[in-house]
Amino acid sequence: MTAFLSSLGFGLVTASVLAIAATGFTLQFGVTDVLNLAYGAVMTAGAFVAYVLNAAGVSVWIGLVVAMIVCGAGSVLLNACVYAPFQRRGVSPITMVIVSLGMTLIIEFGVQAAAGGTSVSYSMSDGPSLRAGGLDLSVVQLVVIGLSLLVMAGTHVLLRYTRLGKAMRATAANKTLARNCGIRTGRVIAVTWAVTGALCGLAGVVFAMDAGSFGATSTDLFLVLILAAVFLGGPGQAYGAMLGAVIIGVATEVSAAYITPDYKYVIGFVILLVMLGVRPSGLLGARA
Amino acid sequence: MSDEPLPDEHAPRRAGAPLRAESVTAGYGGDPVIRDITVAADPGQVVALVGANGSGKSTLLKSLTGIVRVTGGTVTVGDTDITRWAPEAVARAGVGYVPQVDDVFAPLTVRENLEMGGYLLRPARVAERVDHVVTVFPRLGQMLTRPAGKLSGGERKMLAMGRVLMLEPGVFLLDEPTANLAPAIARTLLAEHVRRLADSGAAVLIVEQRARAVLAIADFAYVLAGGEVRMSGTPARLAADPAFTESFLGGAAPRA
Ligand SMILES: Nc1ncnc2c1ncn2[C@@H]1O[C@H](COP(=O)(O)OP(=O)(O)OP(=O)(O)O)[C@@H](O)[C@H]1O
Ligand SMILES: [Mg+2]
Repeated sequence: MTAFLSSLGFGLVTASVLAIAATGFTLQFGVTDVLNLAYGAVMTAGAFVAYVLNAAGVSVWIGLVVAMIVCGAGSVLLNACVYAPFQRRGVSPITMVIVSLGMTLIIEFGVQAAAGGTSVSYSMSDGPSLRAGGLDLSVVQLVVIGLSLLVMAGTHVLLRYTRLGKAMRATAANKTLARNCGIRTGRVIAVTWAVTGALCGLAGVVFAMDAGSFGATSTDLFLVLILAAVFLGGPGQAYGAMLGAVIIGVATEVSAAYITPDYKYVIGFVILLVMLGVRPSGLLGARA
Repeated sequence: MSDEPLPDEHAPRRAGAPLRAESVTAGYGGDPVIRDITVAADPGQVVALVGANGSGKSTLLKSLTGIVRVTGGTVTVGDTDITRWAPEAVARAGVGYVPQVDDVFAPLTVRENLEMGGYLLRPARVAERVDHVVTVFPRLGQMLTRPAGKLSGGERKMLAMGRVLMLEPGVFLLDEPTANLAPAIARTLLAEHVRRLADSGAAVLIVEQRARAVLAIADFAYVLAGGEVRMSGTPARLAADPAFTESFLGGAAPRA
């Protein structure tokens, strides 16, 4: 029982990190039409931005905010300088995936060149650990869970109740019709890159906190889990990605405790494959 | 954006803006699909575009709204030259467009679709306009929270029309608004709603398969064939032309 509860605790933290990352990823894909595989690399870049500040003596929490800003701005630039020009030339979505794969390498090697090849970690205190009902979580882990809940609630409010969020959904659903309504979709897409880029930076920093130590390629495998969560929920579906993240996050950590940690990424993907066999459009897919 | 009180609940925001397309040539990148097309619609007029499948009717409307690239000619609304403007700028110039397909945001609710139609309005005005559109299409009022993708074909067309009504445009471009509607409902939509748009001061350019029904409410009509204007005239004049009646109003197999 304690083994189950402690793995459930890990699972909740992993699910929280995953939910932040997957929500940003699916929103980015849904609105911009770019399946940006460099998302994981941007997470890494964000984690390193916070690390550089942290190593210079700044609190990692301030580093987190700076990482969000840098990744938001960086993602806008990534789109403006790379993806948008290719899209304007009529490059097919599958070719864009290859372009984003190339960007992954460029960003990761850039981070490696700047930060060196070794793993690093933040200097921060985990705070006292809190026990409740057999779960044993540190303050930092609780903060990560809280941030994740905040991101999910914020995404819900943005998409359902704000003019911008509705314009984002309209753009995702039918870009030409959105333009016919007078919506400047180019701006909506740029703002989407900024918002999802910031979420990506946040995900990167909390991922690094959760992992303890990290290097330039640490998010490569995690990207697989992000994709599993996104496609489990149905690509472009914000609520689907949140649900997918919780299922994949908890399942991987619990399975790690009971089977072997070596298989945890495999388990995540097996869940996705089974799911796709049963419902090809994902849990909440097929509605657009 | 003007927020003056409207004299009549149907009055368009920019009453009195005539639409003119002068020698428009446009296409999808290869050979032009429509060539040298000149059409006009004045405020108060319903102008019909008829023609066989593939004759370029939709392409013409898309070139007027900035979706398809215009390679020659000019498009004006009032005194404003809107040739090659982006679709979002054309909408801001007071042109409302109902496309033939993909005419709603399927995952968004009916209310959200209408809100997107009123995207350019002050937020306070949006709710007022939604209430108004619901009085025009009462059926929509019963399904405001339903996703547009789950509407019937006819309900969906009403939503598409309701969406452009939100902005009260001075020019309406309607691409087969009665497709999928039962004949009786189609006639009502044309006679009541489309005609009323023009009567309250808007310029309406409408593509229709139901030639007979649209000519009954139109002030003028153009016949497209092979991407060019083949014939034009008032409904009465066209109805008197055997070449026209044979192709479009023929008894045995009307195209509508
Ligand atoms: N996106 C596109 N790319 C290339 N060619 C197109 C495209 N859309 C339409 N066409 C071609 O342009 C021509 C005119 O098509 P258009 O849709 O304007 O016809 P239409 O008069 O509206 O026909 P219908 O009555 O069937 O709606 C057709 O030959 C069609 O194949
Ligand atoms: Mg057509």
